[in-house]
Amino acid sequence: MTQTIIWTIAILTLLGVVLAVVLYLVAKKFKVEEDPRIDEVEKVLPGANCGGCGHAGCRAFAQSCVEAPNLDNNFCPVGGNDVMQKVASVLGLEVAAKEPMVAVVRCNGTCEMRPRTNEYGGYNSCRVKAALYSGDTGCAFGCLGCGDCVAACQFGAISMDPATGLPVVDEEKCTACGACVKACPKSIIELRNKGRRNMRVFVSCVNKDKGAVARKACSAACIGCGKCAKVCPFDAITVENNLAYIDFAKCKLCKKCVAECPTGAIHAVNFPVVNKPAAPAAPVQAAVPAKEAQPADQPKAKEE
Amino acid sequence: MMKTFSIGGIHPADSKISKDCRIEVLPLPSKVFISMAQHLGAPAVPVVKAGDKVKAGQVIAEPAGFISAYVHSSVSGTVKSVGPRKDIAGNNMVHVEIDVEGDEWADGIDLSDKLVTEIPEDVKAILEKIKLNGVVGLGGATFPAHVKLCPPPGKKAECLILNGAECEPYLTSDYRIMLERSREIVVGAAIMKHVLGGCRTVIGIEENKPEAIRVMSEAVAELQKSAKGYEGISVMSLKKKYPQGGEKQLIDAVMGRQVKSMGLPIDVGAVVQNVATSLAVYEAVQKNMPLVTNVLTVTGDCLPADRQHNYKFRIGMPLSYVAEYAGGVPEQAAKIISGGPMMGKAIANPDAATVKGSSSLLYLTAAQTVRQAESACIRCGKCADACPMGLEPFLLNKYARNGMMDELEENAVQDCIECGCCLYSCPANIPLLDIIRIAKGDVIRIIRGRAAQKK
Repeated sequence: MTQTIIWTIAILTLLGVVLAVVLYLVAKKFKVEEDPRIDEVEKVLPGANCGGCGHAGCRAFAQSCVEAPNLDNNFCPVGGNDVMQKVASVLGLEVAAKEPMVAVVRCNGTCEMRPRTNEYGGYNSCRVKAALYSGDTGCAFGCLGCGDCVAACQFGAISMDPATGLPVVDEEKCTACGACVKACPKSIIELRNKGRRNMRVFVSCVNKDKGAVARKACSAACIGCGKCAKVCPFDAITVENNLAYIDFAKCKLCKKCVAECPTGAIHAVNFPVVNKPAAPAAPVQAAVPAKEAQPADQPKAKEE
Repeated sequence: MMKTFSIGGIHPADSKISKDCRIEVLPLPSKVFISMAQHLGAPAVPVVKAGDKVKAGQVIAEPAGFISAYVHSSVSGTVKSVGPRKDIAGNNMVHVEIDVEGDEWADGIDLSDKLVTEIPEDVKAILEKIKLNGVVGLGGATFPAHVKLCPPPGKKAECLILNGAECEPYLTSDYRIMLERSREIVVGAAIMKHVLGGCRTVIGIEENKPEAIRVMSEAVAELQKSAKGYEGISVMSLKKKYPQGGEKQLIDAVMGRQVKSMGLPIDVGAVVQNVATSLAVYEAVQKNMPLVTNVLTVTGDCLPADRQHNYKFRIGMPLSYVAEYAGGVPEQAAKIISGGPMMGKAIANPDAATVKGSSSLLYLTAAQTVRQAESACIRCGKCADACPMGLEPFLLNKYARNGMMDELEENAVQDCIECGCCLYSCPANIPLLDIIRIAKGDVIRIIRGRAAQKK
């Protein structure tokens, strides 16, 4: 009995020692040379592996940072400037602070504004729906409302508003990783500068149809009339393919375009509420009286 | 024993309600809208502008690449505009809008009914005529016909198969042309056979159309007796099974050969053309008539017998005009489909214009179309039994939902022909096809990307 135990222990110990030596030699022989800084960089990264930086995960990003001569083309949107500062200090490089970004949903076609023209009965996915047809409203550009962006967001920052049928971005949680931008088959979501004190002005529409067609499909659509571009003192607005776009780098947040827009397609968010009516209420008010005035104005504005 | 394809398939009720309705010619509307994307491949480029006078049969758009096709005006009149208009799916596509004035045809088009049985000798001239007259495959995919009739170097066609299966329920347009234009179809077949170097030609028709089998056989026998160049053409009766009209399934049924994964029919020596394409080839080569008309079926269970129709239409007529002429949309109709109920597309925009490949206006009731709630997969394997490509849709569904691209490719999702047999047979109402179709697109993109990288 005792003999068996002694033999067992002896054989196992011997085996362990021999294998340890083998493993040691193998590890020595086939050692992969890796920059130790990759591990260090990876440690300071958020570890979400979201892919927002354009790399396969945090480790791939770390490797790219270590190999690149500077950090100009590498940015971790989740960690933001703080994390990039840490990465820079690990690598002994300089990094310029980037403006924080946020995802912005550029569709204002709520259920009231954009009446449904047909019923979709297929699989509940924007991609599937977009592959089949233009959607269950008259607008071929607007939000399909199946929530692919919600599913794509790893940070729980997007939710569907059942009242409007449109996605809502939680600015606190949004890391601007861009997953929702890629998930949206209609390219409605855009990453924009967060703006001074989170204040932003943007065109909440991507409809490229001619004014009358866009208007018929959705009463909150951008009709490309060009009034906003004319009133903008900073040249920040361009109108192309019947659609206005505000360059966030040039926009000084004067909100003149918001007041000018006949359909309320331009949104101003997070501005302090003064005596004037707040921005979100504007579309509803503007939509009614502008109806008769618009079609006549629109071609004129375009010719000029 | 009657032949059919070897794996999978389903047997939906054939519902050919309109099969006894003769083809009627639709009167001209006041306006037509001719789409630039009536074929597979790059949309054609318009060569007319607003204000131009056009005649019926005149070229109004030229192909924009190798896989593209000419588009002709289907009416005479004045071009009112060239610009975006919503197509059947509601997406913008460039259309040429023409105000109809009279019905004057371009020069050189033979409008008589006389059957021309003599087959021209010059193969190049025939192909050029097919190309210039904008002939595309009318079996559903609208692939430019001349491209299919030019096998790549080193490959030889051994068998031309004419697809008269019309396996989709409800549709009867092919059936009617087989009855009413049988001899023209056979001449078209003989022309294509000549182009392909005189191979064997088989006209495959499903057994549920005995009348068509009889009429087509008679036409073949008659032409073989009276003219030259018709030897080796035969009619084959096929067992009824959906999707017999699928290219690969028809090759399997007729020749007993299987096209390998990602392969083309020509790899096994087959060229498949629809009977309607054959008719279009006849018109193009013998009559110099461009493809500006086709036949569509107006049908549905909710239509009374006297309102079922088969119409010869000119391309560009709005679907709503056809529906209006046929007596309006029935009240019980919940969905209008262009094409058959299995593979057709729901019409999101009824004002959309008809195109070369339009084959039906099918009215389905709510009970026929509204989907039941999805439940969990019970692993019954019905989808795998039904799949005519031998795939396992339940597995592909799982992989697709989890984004497992490697596994999807290993399990040949790229071979899916989108026939809908899996969805039809699933007792748990899982939207298998919707999910697999997207995954197929992704995988094909990956395969193409890899091939491009190698080059």
